[in-house]
Amino acid sequence: MIDVAAVVSQVRRGMIPAHVYGDPEIFALERDRLFARSWVFLAHESEIPDPGDYVVRRVLTDSFIVVRDEAGQIRVMFNMCLHRGMQVCRAELGNASHFRCPYHAWTYRNDGRLAGLPFHEDAYGGEDGFARAGQRLLPAPAMDTYRGLIFVSLDAGAPPLKNYLGDFAFYLDFYVNQSPAGIELRGPQRWRVKSNWKIGAENFAGDSYHTPHTHASVVEIGLFREPKASKRKEGALYQAGPGAGTTYKLPPGGDFAGQLRYVGYPDEMIPALTQAWSDRQRALVADSGFMVSAATLFPNLSLVHNWPQIDEHGTVRPFISLRQWQPISATETEVLSWFAVDAAAPEEFKRDSYKAYLMCFGISGMFEQDDVENWVSITDMATGSMARRLNLNSRMGLTADGKPVKPPIADFAGPGVAYQGFGEYGQRHWLSQWSDHLEREPATPPATDLGAAR
Amino acid sequence: MTTPKPLPYGDPDHQAAHQFLVEEAALLDAADYPGWLALLTEDIRYLMPVRVTTARGAPASTQPGLGHFDEDMYALRKRVQRLATDHAWTEDPPSRTRHFVTNIRTFRTTPGELRVESALLLFRSRGDTREADLISAGRTDLLRETADGLKLARREITVDEAVLRTQNLAVFL
Repeated sequence: MIDVAAVVSQVRRGMIPAHVYGDPEIFALERDRLFARSWVFLAHESEIPDPGDYVVRRVLTDSFIVVRDEAGQIRVMFNMCLHRGMQVCRAELGNASHFRCPYHAWTYRNDGRLAGLPFHEDAYGGEDGFARAGQRLLPAPAMDTYRGLIFVSLDAGAPPLKNYLGDFAFYLDFYVNQSPAGIELRGPQRWRVKSNWKIGAENFAGDSYHTPHTHASVVEIGLFREPKASKRKEGALYQAGPGAGTTYKLPPGGDFAGQLRYVGYPDEMIPALTQAWSDRQRALVADSGFMVSAATLFPNLSLVHNWPQIDEHGTVRPFISLRQWQPISATETEVLSWFAVDAAAPEEFKRDSYKAYLMCFGISGMFEQDDVENWVSITDMATGSMARRLNLNSRMGLTADGKPVKPPIADFAGPGVAYQGFGEYGQRHWLSQWSDHLEREPATPPATDLGAAR
Repeated sequence: MTTPKPLPYGDPDHQAAHQFLVEEAALLDAADYPGWLALLTEDIRYLMPVRVTTARGAPASTQPGLGHFDEDMYALRKRVQRLATDHAWTEDPPSRTRHFVTNIRTFRTTPGELRVESALLLFRSRGDTREADLISAGRTDLLRETADGLKLARREITVDEAVLRTQNLAVFL
């Protein structure tokens, strides 16, 4: 039996027992204590624009139908027939007015209500024997949205999503609020990698230190206008609310519009961006001189924004990707990687931005390829007995007595705290939340039963 | 509109197309990527849609608006250049691959072009202890007759899995 308190106390001092990246006991704790409570991203409203549109997504092994019902309301329902437990929807996306269980044909409207129950009178004695009225597929215990992003929590008592997001919403908006039209999400690409899910989440939360080496090849081939990898240490690393992320330092002297042009936003998009972002968000770009890059919202949603050259003329175009590290086991993760773009952007920009995304991220992306190679290798090493004798050092940016090597940036325009230069602030911030969850005893929510004997 | 019949196996055009695909597979398995690029036309489109599981009769079984690959010559050249650097870690040590190409059907479409359908099974082994990956796909190619012989002008790869079980696509199909 694992000593959670001992693991967590190591993690809290920045020393990570290496086995946590490949340990089935840790994975079971994450399932029962973290994913049973935390807000988890499932989908974006733009994926299901019309009544009846649905996608099927999971929280670990729990399958949920995310559907827009006939009234236009978003519903998230556990994909299990109330009768014998069959999945009522076995496609991963589509449009349906009803979901019919293939086993005994119990049929549910797309708002979850039980509509059809064969031989109700003969088999159950009608409403008196089994009240069909009022029965519905189990809704997700908690569901909430932020700018079209649909989240669920398996904890009915989860705080409102906006409260949970807290100061991280400020940074999230750079990715998902570029105009009043919001974003459109395309995808996801899905693939399985033999990596522990935490490694990617931590990486996006603040690992600017890996860029110069892991991603040396994309700089060498001139995918970026500048020797970007070494520029990484000039960026700010911020931690805010349940999230943390990295930024790039923009060239000195640019005004807001000039900085947007620098990262490749065309003039047509600049008025909407100027309006969509608050004074303080614009100040992060124009005054502090930072542009958001990678980030992670705890636990397993990461975001990325980068701006490669997409043709031989040196045209620079930014792209946005949302990605989820879906845990499969202690040693396997399903990556879901979406391309996101301002829904109101010109078609030409959408095309260019899509190209930029495919070259950099996703299963074929030239950044992502080398990341995953590292993460698979770490996981492979973490499963043995030697990994139980090694605490990995995650103390970059701290002195031996726990003080920051450098003070936080004093005039940083964004909320939370930010440091310039390399440091594992974001990873420790993420691991601190992970520790909070693992320390708490799991809840035992009551079971729902229906039509039971009175 | 009736589906045109494939060329008989004895047709010289079919044999030329078949040989093209086999020679191309040999270049890919030898990791001769510059040699592979030389088989492509400058206006190449190299596509690999994302497959999705949908109900029978649903309008599409691919993700709209997003693929695994959607490449032009610039993007393919960058990928090949990257693999040639000393820092493309994911292919160092390199994968051992075998492109099995079969079920080849050749159709005469417009003059100077052939449409070629094939089935591909890509075996990919990395390292000494990891399980190997398999990717099964159908391909629809457009081969164009040029002064330098047949060249690939368009490829659409229809992968047979919705969730790929390989760590990345640092390989070509």
